[in-house]
Formats: sequence, structure tokens, C-alpha cells
Amino acid sequence: MRTLGPGSVSSFLKIALEVVHVALWVALGLLLLGAMLVLVFQPFVGSIFVLNLRDLGQSHLARVTVPPAMVALGMLGLAIYAAILVVVFNRLRRIFETLIAGDPFRPQNVARLQMIGVALIGLQLWSYVLSVLAHWTFPSMHASKGVAINPTAWFSILVVFVLAEVFREGARLRQDAELTI
Amino acid sequence: MAIRLHLDRMLHQRRMSLTELSDRMGISVADLTLLKTGQARAIRFTTLDGLCRELDCQPGELMAFDADEAEV
Repeated sequence: MRTLGPGSVSSFLKIALEVVHVALWVALGLLLLGAMLVLVFQPFVGSIFVLNLRDLGQSHLARVTVPPAMVALGMLGLAIYAAILVVVFNRLRRIFETLIAGDPFRPQNVARLQMIGVALIGLQLWSYVLSVLAHWTFPSMHASKGVAINPTAWFSILVVFVLAEVFREGARLRQDAELTI
Repeated sequence: MAIRLHLDRMLHQRRMSLTELSDRMGISVADLTLLKTGQARAIRFTTLDGLCRELDCQPGELMAFDADEAEV
């Protein structure tokens, strides 16, 4: 399979990146809009948010009424999660554009990869916050008592920072090649 | 960089312009300017070969090592 051009791996990745990027912006917009609407129409939507959750201590489903404010907070929490993903995919798209242009080893891509690494750290930490909040809100419904460390995610973050250093060296070699007459 | 290319001096001695040398060698004026101003980081043997051929000189006549610059 070709590396660049129509029918190549890069063309599929480009389409995937664009689709995910648009989907994230739509999700972010919907979450923010939803949170705003729930807060504005709070007096009218009090009994709408009823969840059927499986109580871990019992065998049957339990009906739990979720206050609109909590729903709005939950949506805002997810919106922050989506916003961080937007940052990650925006930087990834910029890196991909340099690849399509045939010149990926630019100094700017080092900063972009580092930003992706920092954003992924933020995502992990924020997911821990959301997990703890969910446990506080539904203590008997939420299996995880607190923070569940995902080693795969943290290893992936390490990989991203290592790749940033690889790109730094690549940018240096590129500059050397440019200034080799 | 302690290595200096005396491209200006050789061009003057051979009564040749940078543009003419560029046309003869097939290397852009911009790249030759990088060589002339000492901004280039490396030179290919093929480029050195072309310079020596067109300027009718030896590599040693084209370049010199500045020991004072190297110490800095």
C-alpha cells in the first residue's frame, strides 16, 4: 500500500481525522448547548431525568432521580473532556498536514506532539475527577470506588513524549540536510 | 563553523559571476550564496567536485580552516 496519495494509508487516516474532528466539535456544541438548556429550564425539567440503574447491593433496577443541576454539571464535565480531545485532534491534524505536504519533520511538530502529550495527561486526570464525582453522586451504583489507573493510557502518553523527541532530532537532521549543498 | 569557503575570491580570480557558476553547475544561486556566506552546514563531494571543475582549482584552494574560530 502506498504511503501518500489516493488509496494510501495516509488518505484513510486523513478522512478518519477529519470525521472525528467534526464529530468532536458537534459533540462539544451539543453538550454545551444541552447543559445551558438544562440550567435555563431547570424548574420545568425536574422529573425528567430519572435513571434506571442497577444497584450493586441489590438484584433489581432502582429508579434514581437526577437533579437537573447534576445533569448540567455532568454535561459540562463531558464537554471539558470533548474540548481536550478537540485540542488533541486539532494538533494531530496539523501534524498530518505537514506529512501530506511531504515535510513532517518540522520544529513546530515537536511542540504539537508535546501539547498532545500534555492534553492526554489532562484527559486522564479529568477522567479521574469525573470518576470520583460519579462515585460521590451514585455511591452504590458506581463500581469503581475512586480512581482506576489505566497503565496503557499512561504508557501511550510516554510514547507520545518519546515521539516528540524523535521528531526534534528529525527536525535537526532535516535542517542539516537543507543546509547541505 | 571554522571551515571557510573562499568562493568569492575564486570567482573574482576566474572572472566569473555567481549566476554563471550556478548555470554551469546546476545549483541554485541561493544554495551557492549559502556556501559563500558560510551558512551551509555541509557540502557534498559532488558539489565540491563541481566547484573544483568549474573554477579550475584544488579543494585546498577553495577552503581554509580558521583555527581561531575553532577555539571559540
